[in-house]
Amino acid sequence: MADVSLSAQHLVKRYGGVVALADSSLDVQSGEVVALIGANGSGKSTLGKIITGAVVPDGGRLLLDGEQARFSSPQAARRMGISAVYQELSLVADMTVAENVWLANEPLALGRVRRKERKERTARLLSLFEDALGPSVGPDALVSALSPSDRQIVEILKALSREPRVMILDEATASLGGRQVERLFELVGEWKARGMALIFISHRMEEIFQIADRATVLRSGRTVGAADLKETSEQELVGLMIEGGIAEQRHIAHPGETAGEKTVLLETEDLRSSVLNGVTLQLREGEILGLGGLQGQGQSNLLLTLFGAAPHSGTIRLAGEQVRLSHPRQAMKQGLAFVPGDRGGEGLLPIRSILENLLLPSWSRYGAFLNMRRARNDSEAVSQSLRLKMGSLDHPVNSLSGGNAQKVVLGKWLMRGPKVLLLDDPTKGVDVGAKGEFYKILSDLRERGVAILLHSSDDEELVDLCDRVLVMRDGVVSRQLSGGNLNKSVLVSASVGAASSSSDSAPSGGAA
Amino acid sequence: MRVLRLNPIAIALILAVILFVVGGIVQPGFASYGQGMNILRLAAFLGIVAAGQTLVIISGGERIDLSVGAMITLGAILVFRFGDGQNDQALLALALALGVGLLIGAINGLGITVLGIPPLVMTLGMAGVIQGLILVITGGRIEGEAAPALTSLVSGSLIFGIPGVVLLWLLLGGVMWLVLQRTAYGRRLFAVGTNRVTAKLSGVRVPSVLVLTYALSGMLAALGGVVLLGYTEQVFLNLGDPYTLPSVAAVVIGGTLLAGGVGSYFGTMAGALVLTLLTSLLTALELPESARLMVYGATLLLLLSLYGRQKALRQ
Amino acid sequence: MSAAWASIGPRLRRVALRQSYAFALLLLVVAVAINYYLQPTFFQPGILSGNLLLFVPLMLVAVGQTVVVIGGGIDLSLGAIVSMANVIFVSLMSQEASPSRILLALAAGFLAGILAGALNGFCVAVLRFQPIVTTFATSFIFAGLALYVLPEPGGVMPPGLVNFFYINPLGLPMVLWVVIILLLLWALLRSTRYGPYLYATGGRDLSAFVSGVPVSSVRFLSYCIAGLMAAAGALALALSTGTGNPIGGTDLMLQSIVAVVLGGTRLSGGQGGVAGSIIGVVILSLIQSIVSFSGAPSSWQTLINGLIVVAALAGPGLVALLGRRRRA
Repeated sequence: MADVSLSAQHLVKRYGGVVALADSSLDVQSGEVVALIGANGSGKSTLGKIITGAVVPDGGRLLLDGEQARFSSPQAARRMGISAVYQELSLVADMTVAENVWLANEPLALGRVRRKERKERTARLLSLFEDALGPSVGPDALVSALSPSDRQIVEILKALSREPRVMILDEATASLGGRQVERLFELVGEWKARGMALIFISHRMEEIFQIADRATVLRSGRTVGAADLKETSEQELVGLMIEGGIAEQRHIAHPGETAGEKTVLLETEDLRSSVLNGVTLQLREGEILGLGGLQGQGQSNLLLTLFGAAPHSGTIRLAGEQVRLSHPRQAMKQGLAFVPGDRGGEGLLPIRSILENLLLPSWSRYGAFLNMRRARNDSEAVSQSLRLKMGSLDHPVNSLSGGNAQKVVLGKWLMRGPKVLLLDDPTKGVDVGAKGEFYKILSDLRERGVAILLHSSDDEELVDLCDRVLVMRDGVVSRQLSGGNLNKSVLVSASVGAASSSSDSAPSGGAA
Repeated sequence: MRVLRLNPIAIALILAVILFVVGGIVQPGFASYGQGMNILRLAAFLGIVAAGQTLVIISGGERIDLSVGAMITLGAILVFRFGDGQNDQALLALALALGVGLLIGAINGLGITVLGIPPLVMTLGMAGVIQGLILVITGGRIEGEAAPALTSLVSGSLIFGIPGVVLLWLLLGGVMWLVLQRTAYGRRLFAVGTNRVTAKLSGVRVPSVLVLTYALSGMLAALGGVVLLGYTEQVFLNLGDPYTLPSVAAVVIGGTLLAGGVGSYFGTMAGALVLTLLTSLLTALELPESARLMVYGATLLLLLSLYGRQKALRQ
Repeated sequence: MSAAWASIGPRLRRVALRQSYAFALLLLVVAVAINYYLQPTFFQPGILSGNLLLFVPLMLVAVGQTVVVIGGGIDLSLGAIVSMANVIFVSLMSQEASPSRILLALAAGFLAGILAGALNGFCVAVLRFQPIVTTFATSFIFAGLALYVLPEPGGVMPPGLVNFFYINPLGLPMVLWVVIILLLLWALLRSTRYGPYLYATGGRDLSAFVSGVPVSSVRFLSYCIAGLMAAAGALALALSTGTGNPIGGTDLMLQSIVAVVLGGTRLSGGQGGVAGSIIGVVILSLIQSIVSFSGAPSSWQTLINGLIVVAALAGPGLVALLGRRRRA
């Protein structure tokens, strides 16, 4: 493989009002692995997407082998030798492993696909992970039958099949098991020796130190440091990831004391679902309990399950009584409310009016022939109390800014006076000013005795807002942080699985 | 896509007016009051049938009801056979027809929600079953009579020479507006059509909404059949077939998206009007049927290009 | 439905999905058994062939519909394309039976089918119109063209060709040959790049797009193939009936959709195959003959036929439902 060098210089990317990348740079050469690290929301994925041609930057430039490169599509980047390992995005479930790996790149003879050769090549690729794959994984296995970790390996092999000079692994180890990660790293070593340049985007400290030569640290869309991993410690890196940051107005609702005297409004025992492996927790009235940890460890699923939207086993108790929640309508009637993570896709009806969105769960309260006047008044009242900035109640929700749209999602529940509020990353993509207002609303609710369970990808937010934080890992609560332990560095360490020197309170049952 | 911002109902109505005027120019007497009323009457049949289709399409997921044609025939036959020319009996037969429509529609809905059968195929299959039912009921021979009250309602004129069925259609328009805009069901229907997941996560029981929607579609199709009987006074086995796919077209022309979540019955009414006018105009122009069909299809395509396009893959 | 799939072992699931016509085969066996029980003579080669002959046009149309459906679309204009191509074949061949004339007629009819498909494909794949309403609209255009070419049913096929389906090459009925050739052609198509492209486009077009599959072209081509197959169906119709008919393709089109779904291909696309659709057509024909042999009163036959079809369609759904119940 000929030598290659890739240099991303001062890349900028904005999505509407939110700045994903302000000034990020990264360099990688043949034969080295550069780790790209940063806390949730630092812009790592966006940088990766620009390099692989999936996203076009608003500023800065990309140099490949010293020459400026502008990729109009992932295909274009692939042709230049840059391959990315997606998180299952590029697989078609109902096709076989072989068909997926070689999709749009099939070996041909006289226009016909050489199936035998495709199968052999796939088998050879699969053999790279020989003892690390599930028993039924072969070239003719259907991707839909594979476990998520096996699918991830198929994605890796698919990227590899293009014989790239630069390979980007974006959280590729997130769904992989121990042996698979080991094997992947062995392979990375071989690829390095052959001259490939690799960018390894990850959260996991132990893996980064194992595999990478250098590390580039992003914070809030900026490159804040680059380090040689032989000369850096974990603590230093974590420090780079979290130090400083944008000072935000936070209305901190924070006694931080144990609320042991208050009533437990919601509790679970050994809650299991397709993602959860036994979650036990208690949520008290008037407290904000946070769910932290790396993305995809079960936080969203836990909230969905509590709201009756996911099949589950185990016990859920509301105000001491066991309930069976098999549909959100039942959860609603019990006083629960849920603000989903995907605002546009799960929380709102974007093309419908603000009024309709606010009233969606509550139409049955307005009579057989809807009393629109009362409905309108109630919606006005809620929008005013939330200080919703809108043209009129009849405008479509997609005309609102992110922060205001989120207020609508919250508003539709507040109209019902819920006792327990479940929030899945509510301030993601919301601008600073609106975030502040949101925090005030949460703190008011807390004062009024509403129990709040909040999952956030923003660690600072968790630390500032919550009375306690449960760190989730692999579908269970791995640690509980409160009091003196509830600070950002402990949280980040706990999330990435780094060993912590300070003692912390034992998690409330069900820990791994 | 500025053209998309224009209200589809407005486009449809403007088109209707244009068609009417052109007709008047080309064929003297076309733009007369009497002819206009006649066209409205014809449009009413399509319009009434398309009411149910409107509900189904608003529910989203590119769902359509292909059993409406067969249901029309069944409705007509039930009243024809069991009403047997007596007004009070006909009323009971009407209730029967509507009830059967409701039931069969519900079966459609259950097959689609509980058994997961694709709507296109389920309603298609049920259409075959309905046709079978028709043959069983009539035993191959169609006996009966249209009740005089029905015929005079449909064909006769009540006020200002407006046929009764047109008034009925307008009444239905009002009822549909009420249902869609002033009932919890209507609001939930729009929600389901916009985003099933959001609807579910906001407490809407999606399968129930869908079953009710199909049930209503069946009932309205049966009503359409009964009304059509009042006009034709005769029943034949494929009475309703010419209305199935045009009912879908009328809804789409009226601005309701097949993807769901957006639309109104007023749009469908305008769409039904446009389709009927187009057919009548083409007939009045005395074009050979081949040309009529081609112009009809081309016009539909043209309308689609104005507001029927879908999102590109490149985000 | 995916939850139920996960509960059946991965091996079984793979068989069920890969050989998606597994359920259809089961139905076929059952249908054959019942048919045999009711009327053993049905399976004598001559009689069987004669009965299946009626379904050859449907078979060809269903194959075309299958290709479009696998790619994620649907075509409601196939019946009208059949009518259009049918009258072109007949009216061009009617005059004389010279070989050059026949070839011209064949070329014209098939070209018409492909162009009709291209119109559909252009609207759906390039202009991104919605398939259902688009193909409904184009069906009028094609139906109009059919009437233009041949206003009244009529025309006569050259005498030599009329016996086409009664020839038995190598002792096997022509109908069987048609099936064999269809399966071979499909295997050929599937073995090119187009195979994976088509399935990927129907399975998850975003994944296909990200992987570099030319999704628009794939869809466009699928509609052209459907148009071609409709023309083939039209030819089969002309050969078996001996005359031309400018109307009445709607039933054929609707039946083709039922056959495709019976055969195990999902309307949402991404899986299934032609073999299943052919089995689906045979099942439909067997259901019809079962009902007529069963001795049920003639007025009940359509209803029973309809109920059996709905039951057959409900089959996979019922299995999934029971699977879900067992799991919960």
